[in-house]
Formats: sequence, C-alpha cells, structure tokens
Amino acid sequence: MDKLFVIAVGGTGMRCLEAFTHLCAIGMFDSKEIEILTLDTDQANGNKGRVEKLIQLYNRIKNGGTPNANTFFSSKLNLYRFYTNYSGQGRENYKNISKLNAGTPEQQKGNKLISDLFLDNESVQEFDLSHGYRAQTHLGSMLMYHGMIEAARNIVRGTDVKVQEKELDEFVMKLELAGQDARVFIFGSIFGGTGASSIPVIPKALQDFIKIRSKGAASIDFSKAKFGSTLLTEYFTFRKPNDKQKASKENSVIADASYFPLNSQAALQFYQSDPTVQRCYKMLYHIGWPVESKPVDTGSTQTITGGATQENAAHITELLAACAAYDFFTRTTGLDVDKTEYVYKAVDFNNNAFSFSIHDFVGNGNKAGERFANKIGAFFSLAHISLTVNNAANGDAGIKGFITRCQEQKITQYNTITDAECGEINDYFKAFAYTFESARFTPGWLYQVRSTVAPGTFIFDSKAFPDSLSELKKLDVGTIFLDEKNHWPKGGILANRYDTFVKKLINLGPEEEQQVNTTKEKFLAHIYNAITQSQGFLLI
Amino acid sequence: MESITAYTVSAIITLVVLFIAAIIANLIKFEGGSKPKDPKIRKRWFWILCLVNPVLIFLLGFFVFMPDGNMRVVKNYIGALCIGTAAGFILYILLGFILSRLFTNGKLGHWF
Repeated sequence: MDKLFVIAVGGTGMRCLEAFTHLCAIGMFDSKEIEILTLDTDQANGNKGRVEKLIQLYNRIKNGGTPNANTFFSSKLNLYRFYTNYSGQGRENYKNISKLNAGTPEQQKGNKLISDLFLDNESVQEFDLSHGYRAQTHLGSMLMYHGMIEAARNIVRGTDVKVQEKELDEFVMKLELAGQDARVFIFGSIFGGTGASSIPVIPKALQDFIKIRSKGAASIDFSKAKFGSTLLTEYFTFRKPNDKQKASKENSVIADASYFPLNSQAALQFYQSDPTVQRCYKMLYHIGWPVESKPVDTGSTQTITGGATQENAAHITELLAACAAYDFFTRTTGLDVDKTEYVYKAVDFNNNAFSFSIHDFVGNGNKAGERFANKIGAFFSLAHISLTVNNAANGDAGIKGFITRCQEQKITQYNTITDAECGEINDYFKAFAYTFESARFTPGWLYQVRSTVAPGTFIFDSKAFPDSLSELKKLDVGTIFLDEKNHWPKGGILANRYDTFVKKLINLGPEEEQQVNTTKEKFLAHIYNAITQSQGFLLI
Repeated sequence: MESITAYTVSAIITLVVLFIAAIIANLIKFEGGSKPKDPKIRKRWFWILCLVNPVLIFLLGFFVFMPDGNMRVVKNYIGALCIGTAAGFILYILLGFILSRLFTNGKLGHWF
C-alpha cells in the first residue's frame, strides 16, 4: 500500500489543506496514515494558523487512535511545519539574505549585476519577505529552493538547527523511507506568490535535500516517485494596493489581483514547457473558476499582504483541489507515465450559476459519488445534531447529548468520554459548519464553500444552511439532501425522523471491520453507522 | 367461581393497562438536546397508569362485573376483587419491570 504525503504551500495551499482535512474528518481516507507538511514563508499567516489548529484539533480528537475504516476521522494525520525564516536580522529581504554587500568588491559587483538582471533593484530586491513572495515567482522559486537546501545543510552541520528544520527533516525522512511507494500531493495556487513559486521546485528541492542529508547516498528517482499537484488558477480577488501603501520599501511590491489571470496563463505555459515539471509530476489537476472572482477583503481598507489577518474564507475550488488529492491517492492506474498527465472535468453552468451534483467531486466510478455524499452528508447531519439540535453552537452540550442519550438507553460503554473530549468534537463541528460568536452567526467551512456556489446547487438542499436561530430551530436534520430518497425515514404517522434515527442508533453499534479501538473511535463509528444507514444510499 | 371472575378481571385489566402504558411509551418521541425530557415523561406515564390500574380494576369489577347472587357470593367476590386489585397493582409493577429489563435499550427501558 502506498504511503501518502501532502504538502501545502502558501495561503491557498493552506486552504486546500483545510478542505483536505475535512475530507479526512468525513472519512474519505479510510485506513490511511497521512504525513502533512505545511510550507510557507509567512509564519504568522492566518490561513496557515487556521489549518494547523484544525489538524491539531483533529489529532486531539483521534488522541492516539489508529487509522479506521468507514467512520468519521478515519485517517491518522501527522503534521510537520516548515517555514523559511525571513524574520531575523539580515534576513528581511533579498538584498540582505543573499548577502549582496558581502565578499570582495569584485564579487559584490558580480552579485549586483546578476541580481539586477533578474530582479528589480528598487522593489523586488528590497520588499519584506516575511509576508511571502508577493507574486514574484522568479524570486520565490529561488528562495524557496534555497530555504530548503539551507535547512538540509544546517541539519548536516548539526548546529543551531531550528525546530522547523527538524520537522522538515522528519517529513523528508519518512518520504525517503517510503521510497517508490510514496505518493506526494502538493497544494498551492499557480497565480499568487508562495505556492506558485514552490510547486515547480519542490520535487527537486526534496531530492537535493535528501542528497545533502544522506551525503549523496540517497535520492528521489523521479521516474518512480509519484508526485501530483493542482494547477489552481485564479478564483478570488482583493483590493488593488494604493500608492500610499506601496510607499515604504518593505511594501514596494504588493501582489495585484488584477494580474492574477495573466499570472495564471504564464504559469500554465511555463508548466507545459518546463522539462523539470513535466518529468517530476505524474498528474496535474487543472482547477479553475471561469466566472468573475469574488473579493476576499471586503472589510479592509488596505491590501492584506499576509500575516495573521490573511484568513480568507473557504471556496469550492479548494474542496475540488482536495478531491483531486483524493483521486491521486486512490487511483490504481495512470501513475506510471513518463510525462505529466493533465486531469480536468467540467461542471454544469446554468442561469449564471454552477450546479454541483454528488458526482462532480470524486467521480462516479464504483459509486464514488454516492459514497462521498453519504459520508459528507452524515458528517453534516451530525454537525447539525451537535450544533443545532443539541445547541453546541450556543455553548450547550452538543455531542455530549448523544452520550446522555446512550446513558438513558442503558448503553454505558461511552460514559468514559469526558466533557473536554466532547468539547473538542463540538469545536471541530463549529469549524466545519457554523457557530455563534457573541450572538453573531459565523459561517464555518462548509457554509462558506456553499456560499461560493449559491444560488447554484451544491449536494445539499439550501434549507440545510439556515443562518438564524429561528430558522435553525425549524431545521429537520434528517432532510438535508436535495433528493428525498436520502432523507431519514419518517417511521410512521406518529413518529418523526429524529425518533426513527435514535431507534436505529440504539439497535446498532460499531462493527469489527471498522477497526476501531478507543472508546471515542467506537462512539464515532456507532453514530456513523446510524446516520449512514438512515440516509439510504445504495452503495453496492 | 366468583373468585375466578374477580382474578380474571384483575389480570385482564392489568394486561390492558400495561399494554396502554407500552403504547404511550412508544408514542413519546426521542428528543434531541442536552437534557431530553422524554425518559421522565415515559416513567411518569408508567406510574400514573400504575395508580390508575387498581382503581380501574376495582371500579370495573364492582360496577360492571359484579355477579348476581346471594350475600355470600357477593362477599366472596368482593374479597377476591380486593385481593385481585392488590395483585393487579403488584403484577403491573412486576410485568413492567420485566418488560423494562427485556427492552432495556428501548423506550420501555425508561420505566425503571
């Protein structure tokens, strides 16, 4: 069985990883242990922080558990974090980090000439690198490559090795151990800065990292290694920077979203013609948003260049990127190619809106679409039971209510699950669906994804996304799907769907083939079985 | 003979009332929320019917099933009815407990 590796680069890469983590939570990667590396220049980036917190929360929920099958949180995730350090003295910009003013006068002159040839002297060489490469991919590719090589050299030297360098080393060691059984999927955009800079150079940087680390004894054979990535073109826009903001040298270069379509075209041409990319990547998934991009910074007066404030809402293209990773990790054919294969598909576009069906995400072979809908529907229903029915969105018991219900029904094996553990599951659902912060509705990941498609269709009935307390109270959690045949059974004239569901919950339990070990895993598998069976998808 | 009638009446009424209690328990829907009230409501209905059962046995036995006959027959019947009423009360609780244990994970499990 192949070992799975995910690398997320830059702000967009982090949001794709967020979508990927949610796919893991709904149970799309059964029985898998996945090594995840976050790679950024911007240590404080809001998107990066959000996804790392999410994975840490996921891992607290797993809490030493093992990979399972056909349940929620079925895969085990191992997170590694690496960022290129641009915060110390002499590392703030290209001029300082490349030591243009060091060496003999002759060397300085040569270095300056070659730098000026490729990089604008006044702006590109002097902007603050700590907020990413700001769409300067020619600079970014070089710096990202050297950032990783610098880490390898530091590790070999063994002095002053940073935490992030150790984490990168651990990740790469696992990659090296997996050898030709490794499948590596890289998330990132091709229109922005950090992701676009890194995707072309990461395979080569990893190869050279291993060579330096092993002192030439090991390497990555690109004819056997399986690398995949997304060609994610522009799908959002933001405020154009004004002259006042660009006045300082640190901000002399700010990414301009109006160039994103041009950047995307240039990147696609480059990927098509670059022999290294064509040799390294087995699969590239072409994902785009061929309608007007929505602004992500409506509340801000300035262009957000990075940092903690760069925390964009989720978009359906990121879910599609995560689904591309699913395809790459689960496909059994097409990975023994010598040259990159491109993968794409189209979605119905009617009345100025996209219509996504359950078959538009992970395909429809072997009932994959139904399996996906069954899992994401079950997770969304459970989120609504926790947040809406059991009112965790407003600080009530949430998932603990299920344990109370089990106790009432004399099912006592879950009594050892603590309130804190239930609180973590509730927190995950808040990130996944929605919450209320100071009585204000805050949409979570799935609500945000759906809003990028509205008024088009998206797997679920639009009634499954209420955003006010009064509407939420009216929600029937058994009717979230568009197709009535996937609604939970009514169970007779005097019963209701929730009553029928609880009866099913009582009569079921975790199954041996779900490979669940801990009490929490058994509890989640038990609920998974009750909900998925209530939804009535025909999976055989 | 009149004793058998009183005991039969008591047993049949007890079983009917217990059956009604089971129907009511099943009609009460499972509630969501952190503190669902449905278990308490089922329990409450079980004990209400537990009190109704002996009253019903005695009243029906006295006014509907009272045999025509001499004083001795009536006296024997009333004696048997009193014992039947008490036995019905105990039988209701006993059968309720057994059913509650048999269906411990279901709605009847809330009776005890």
